[in-house]
Amino acid sequence: MTTEQRVVSDVDTSKQIALVRIEEVVKHFPIGAGLLGGQVVKAVDGVSFEVRGGETLGLVGESGCGKSTLGRVIAQLHPATSGHIYFKDIDLVTLKGEKLRRMRQQLQMIFQDPYASLNPRMTVGDIIGEPLTNFHIARGKAREKRVNEVMRICGLNPGFISRYPHEFSGGQRQRIGIARALILNPTFIVADEPISALDVSIQAQIVNLLEDLQDEFKLTYLFIAHDLSVVRHLSDRVAVMYLGKIVEVADSKQIYDNPLHPYTKALLSSIPIPDPDLEAEREPILLKGEIPSPVNPPTGCRFHTRCPIAQFPICSEQEPPLEDKGSGHQAACHFPGQL
Amino acid sequence: MTRGTFAYVGQRFVLIALTALVVSSIVFIGVHQLPGNAFLSERQSSPQREAELLHHYGLDKPLPQQYLAWVGGVLHGDLGESLVNRGVRITPLLLRELRVSATLGLFALLFTVVLGMGLGILAATKQNTWIDYAASFGGTVGYSMPNFVTATLLILLTVTGFYAWSGGAFYEDIGWGKPEQVIVPAIALGLYPMAIISRLTRASMLEVIRQDYVRTAWAKGLRPRLVVIRHSLRNALIPVVTILGPITTSVITGSVVIEYIFGIPGLGKEFVNSIFNRDYNIVIGVFTFYAILVGLANLAVDLVYPLLDPRIRY
Repeated sequence: MTTEQRVVSDVDTSKQIALVRIEEVVKHFPIGAGLLGGQVVKAVDGVSFEVRGGETLGLVGESGCGKSTLGRVIAQLHPATSGHIYFKDIDLVTLKGEKLRRMRQQLQMIFQDPYASLNPRMTVGDIIGEPLTNFHIARGKAREKRVNEVMRICGLNPGFISRYPHEFSGGQRQRIGIARALILNPTFIVADEPISALDVSIQAQIVNLLEDLQDEFKLTYLFIAHDLSVVRHLSDRVAVMYLGKIVEVADSKQIYDNPLHPYTKALLSSIPIPDPDLEAEREPILLKGEIPSPVNPPTGCRFHTRCPIAQFPICSEQEPPLEDKGSGHQAACHFPGQL
Repeated sequence: MTRGTFAYVGQRFVLIALTALVVSSIVFIGVHQLPGNAFLSERQSSPQREAELLHHYGLDKPLPQQYLAWVGGVLHGDLGESLVNRGVRITPLLLRELRVSATLGLFALLFTVVLGMGLGILAATKQNTWIDYAASFGGTVGYSMPNFVTATLLILLTVTGFYAWSGGAFYEDIGWGKPEQVIVPAIALGLYPMAIISRLTRASMLEVIRQDYVRTAWAKGLRPRLVVIRHSLRNALIPVVTILGPITTSVITGSVVIEYIFGIPGLGKEFVNSIFNRDYNIVIGVFTFYAILVGLANLAVDLVYPLLDPRIRY
């Protein structure tokens, strides 16, 4: 695997350095404002991890666990309720107005829905090239040249530069979204489920494109997804999120071979195996019930209401901290690896 | 502007002309069913004199013949002669008055669009702040008041009020002719549509600023002004422009009341006077003008669409 080869290259030394450090980030959304106000959705509730330069960190979790919100908070599209997000040692949370706007040149986002995230009234050339004008980087012919270049890199025919988004297929639209994110040569890209709205046949193309771009431009990705097999393919490290908390962070290989948290184990057991014989023998760990409400998350370990190995009262009373369980494999569980 | 656009505009012109003809025909037929005529109120009117006048205007002929003669005139751009002021041709008279009404109407529309959209954008971008609440309150008041009430209050305020408060230093007369005299009637005429536009712009903007592509615009690192104007407003304008067609119509017809109250010698005042005087030729003429104006206003709106939304092409 290329990861092993990179160990000796200079890229890997930079990998040890955290490019983005997220510390105790909290994002609460108030609901039912008014007389009964005071209720909040705890979408992200105290999350810390780091993304190292040049790596892909996969962020996985089921729907509603707060992973998209976390991605947007990191990209500063929602202000964090509290906590710090250090990007190259600058705390993004304290940046405002013009300084934050400048920072966006290095910090870009690829959105989930390629149908809704492109302005329907603008040509592809304007959608992709607008940031160049906006940051006074290039205009006119120079801008067009740069847009053509990025379109070509992303596998789009530059001849389509003056077409509108509705004239493209979903996969092409996602390529436009990626080209748009790339135009400013960012160092860090938050990809918020960039392939979940696409057909399976197109997903592979986009995943390959993202990989090629990472190699070519030394990009760092935070790759948010719920498809574990894609995350396994793409990510150097994986963080698993449950109900606003990170429950496990480890190298991709470690987490897939030896998941410590019962939730991770349950998620992994749900991946279908593309072999009918093995698939028939597979015994997925079925979790009881629905994901609890993020308005009133369970006490202690948030997973105890659905955990097959929960022991009471410890799991319902004490919140397990996210700690190193050996060789950099972090998990937040009182009984790691016992399922 | 493509060749398709020209063909489309050509078609629409034909349709407007047809509409105007149909509208005026209906009015023509309706008006001639009314009892009495314009000469009944005439002083010292003798039966002989009346017969003379009826003959002069061709009103003694059978209705179908009168209609054909009238249609023939309309096709040549001639709306006939005033029944009250003999010798006055209606087409040049109405064209002259149209210039007055159009000036008033354009100022009213300017007030409507600029202030209405401005307040709507402000209210949407400052949602749930006192600015939003104030704009909403103003909007509700604005479209709850009939325009004759607005007009009377404005006259009271500007003519009587300012005069009294300034101790006689500020004197403003209602009427027409001086450039500043267009302001108060334009506000009176534009207040109601302005309120509608501001509410609609606010609602439309609120919907658009939650769209994914507006989030994309923020993520691009655009300046707030660009996000609001280029990405949000442009997409939010479609329903606003749609309602501008009917609003232009309401400004045109609303001017009937406003012009009468402010004594402005425009189409609206002529319309009211011609009804009082039973000058039916002018009534028909004004209706014809209104039909054409409404048609043109709607055409103008339809031509703005492709500028806002490139997916719409003619």
